[in-house]
Formats: sequence, C-alpha cells, structure tokens
Amino acid sequence: MTDDTVIATSGLTKRYRDVLAVDALGLDVRRGEVYGFLGRNGAGKTTTIRMLLGLIRPSGGEVTVLGRRISPVEAGVFGRIGYLVESASAYPNLTVRENLDIQRRLTGAPRDAVARAIELLRLDEYADRRAGHLSLGNKQRLSLARALLHRPEVLILDEPANALDPAGIVEVRELLRSLADQEGVTVFMSSHILAEVAHLADRVGIVHEGRLIEELDRAELAARARAHAETVLTPQQREDALLSMDLERYFLWRTSNGRSGDGAR
Amino acid sequence: MMGQVLIAEFSKLRRSKVTWASLAGLSMGPLGIALFMWIVREPGRAASLGLLGTKANLAGLEATWPAYADALTLIVGIGGMILLSFVVAYIFGREYTEATAKNMLALPVARHRFVIAKLVVAAAWWAVLTAIVVAEAVAVGFLLGLPGFSAEIVTGMIGNALLAAAISYLLVPVVAWVTVAGRGYMPPLAFAIAMMALGNLFGKTGWGPYFPWSIVPTLVGMVGEPLGGLPVGSYVVLALTFAAGVGGTIAQLRYADNSQ
Repeated sequence: MTDDTVIATSGLTKRYRDVLAVDALGLDVRRGEVYGFLGRNGAGKTTTIRMLLGLIRPSGGEVTVLGRRISPVEAGVFGRIGYLVESASAYPNLTVRENLDIQRRLTGAPRDAVARAIELLRLDEYADRRAGHLSLGNKQRLSLARALLHRPEVLILDEPANALDPAGIVEVRELLRSLADQEGVTVFMSSHILAEVAHLADRVGIVHEGRLIEELDRAELAARARAHAETVLTPQQREDALLSMDLERYFLWRTSNGRSGDGAR
Repeated sequence: MMGQVLIAEFSKLRRSKVTWASLAGLSMGPLGIALFMWIVREPGRAASLGLLGTKANLAGLEATWPAYADALTLIVGIGGMILLSFVVAYIFGREYTEATAKNMLALPVARHRFVIAKLVVAAAWWAVLTAIVVAEAVAVGFLLGLPGFSAEIVTGMIGNALLAAAISYLLVPVVAWVTVAGRGYMPPLAFAIAMMALGNLFGKTGWGPYFPWSIVPTLVGMVGEPLGGLPVGSYVVLALTFAAGVGGTIAQLRYADNSQ
C-alpha cells in the first residue's frame, strides 16, 4: 500500500457457510488508474465489489477506500465514490430525471448535476421517460449516470458494459478513460470479458474461485495474448483470439502451460 | 440531510398505483357497512336481496349511529392493521423487488435515516388514509339518515378510529423489520396475517391487552369483552413493540449482509 493507494484490501475473505466466495484477496488500486477486475461468472467479482461498498460484511480481512476503512456505520466516504452493482436498477415509476434527482439530493450534488449527467450519458431523449419503460441498455446508462452524477473520485463498477450495444460500449469506455486521464478519477471495474478491460485498463487483476491469481499491466497483457496466439493457435484462431481476447482461451493457455489457479503474486 | 432523505422518500411515491389502491381498499369499508345497514333497515330489502341480505342479517348489525360507530372502529382497527402492513411492506420491500436497495445502502447517508424517513412516509400515508376514511364515514352516516345521532357519538367514533389507527401504526416497524430481513413483500404479509390470527387467539385467552396484535381486536370488541379503555400495560407493550421494530430494522440494514 502506497500514498497513492485509493482502494486497498488485505486478506479479504467472504464465506457463505461452506462456500468460499472470496479468499484472502489483496488489492492495491492506485489513484487515477483504471483497474480491470477480470474473472468468469461466479469468480467472486460481485461479492468483492459488495464488500468494497459495505453492502456485505467480510468474513475476514479489511477494505479501505480513500484511506477510510469501509464500514456500514461510516457512510461519509460514500459521497466520494460512484458505483454500479450488478444489474442496472432504478425506481420504475419515476422518470430518468426524477431518479437522478433523488441521487442528487442524497449525495449533496449541485442542482445542475442532473442535467450534466443526462448529457454525459446521452440520455436527453429519455430524460422524461419513466425508468420502467427504458430498454436494458438505457437503464444501464441511467445507472452509470447515477454513478457519475456527484463527480466521485472513485468509480466502482460491476460489469459497466452490460446490456450496452457495441457503440455504447465504445462510448462508455472512452468516457471512463477520459475521466481517469483528465480528472484523475480512479476506476475499478469488473468484467468477465477480457477484451473489454484490455482496451481500457491500465492493470488487470484476474480472479478465479475467489483468489487473485495474477495481475498484469497493459503491456504484459498484450504480450501474453500475442505469445498465446503464436504458440497455440492456428492462424485463423490467432486472428480471432487477438480480436476477441477470449477469457476461456486465456484459461486454456494457463492450463496448457502448466500454470495452476493458485499462482497469485 | 434528514430533510433531503424525507423528500427523496416521498418522491419515490410519485405515480405509484399502490397509494390509490390502498385508499380504494380502505374507503370500501364504510361503504360496505353502509350497504349492510341500508339492507337491515328494512326487512323487505334483506329478503329481496337474497344471499347479500342474509349476510347482512347474519352480521348482526343494527342500523343505528352507535352500531355504525363501532363498525367503523373495527374497519379502521382490523382492516387498517392489514392494510398498513401492505403499505409498509411496499415502502420497504420495493427496494428489494426493484433491486434499488444496493444503490440506497451505499449512499453517503446513515442507514437509520432511511428507516426513519420511510416510517415517516408510512405515518403520513396512514394519517391521510385515516382522515379520508373517517370523513367519508361521517358523510355516509349522515346520508344514510341513521337514528340515534348525537355529537358525542360522532366525536367518540372519530376518537376511537384515531386511537385504533395510532395503535395499528405502532405495530408496523416490526413489519418493516420482517420486510428488510425477508427482502420482499411476501414475508411481511405472511407475518401480518399470522399475527392477526395469533392476536385473535390471545384475545380469547384474556391476555388480549398484553399481546400487541390482540390489543386492537380487544379494544374494538372483536374478541373477548370490549374494553372501556386500555390498561397502562397495553401502552407499555405497544411502546416496546414499536422500539423493537425500529431498532431491529436499523440493525438489520446496518449489520446484516445486503446481498440482494
């Protein structure tokens, strides 16, 4: 942990009876970086994010965000965090604008924050439409707008590209990159799609069965993908893999190279 | 900040159909009693209306102001206990069924403020419903032209209805607790119905004034001997139930996993 650390976990563990969802996880996410938290479905990503936000209590270890230990009775730090947990959700009887206005009131954001968030996520056309009548993609945009509304220093996003169309994914990716580069916002985002984080993240942590098995920076990730493509795959598969950076193939590569799932560093 | 939380909680009710449904549900009560009284006032009507007339006769209602006043207290007290449980289950439970609890609980707002604000919304909602239904009942009573009217009966009727409404409200934080523990609508509704049944049972044992869910049925004379007033012990039991419900709901949101 350094002075630059924004999100830190040590020995973070969550056990549900005999299921170990998160196993002694150690994270160190630095100010202004985009950190991709990558893993298959059920790897422990959402459980970790819920612990980062104080929604569930760790069975062991601790979490600090912005230097404050996360606890359900210490709400103050959450004013500096924007978040999206799992699926997009909103009050269906309220319009996009009304949903965001609730967030504005409860985060103490200025009045113009709602209009800014609507513009940022290109929701102008839907601003007065009830959330219950939005498409899944626009619901996801609304959730992202809610996360960004109060200009947080840290964004904790669980699968932010869920339900977005390809153009929307690129748009959100560019938005997150510019927030990190221009405003120094720290982004912690989970995904099960390697390509999604590889295009955006400065560092990627790969989680498997609740354990952080590897951390790679962008250059290492690209080199690993190239090496994988050159040694294992046919030319056509190589092209496909480079394009999609498929996570299943990544795990195949680890197995074929004799690397087990417990090689955390 | 508490003001903003209250505004936010009231805003969540915009365009909600549940508010209108609850008003429609409770306002049927005085109309139902009025219909029965209108039927029993003339024996010929009961005979011509078949099953409905038989039911009206079986209800044993007299078409008088004092009987109408007792029936109204019963509607607000018993009907209110169930309806208010629905209202509270909706206010707290929607955060889980609409998957917004995870958004709400990671806001920079102490969680007990949400509990207090939601209970204030429930209180305001219940106060408006009670006021409308009592006003409706008085108007319907006059329209029926019931015999035995006196200002004392009407003020007594209003007073009893408000007392039953207040007692019903003191029980709802426990329903809120069951809602956040069960994360949805079904557990609190099952709990409310089970407590009503238990309340009836306890009322028949003579312990009615000391079991929270027996107090209203005992007060309105639905079970056991009608009480002239409640013993001090009843108020202590109600206060403890209210405090346990508020404390339990806050503790549940603060210390239990919110994984839905």
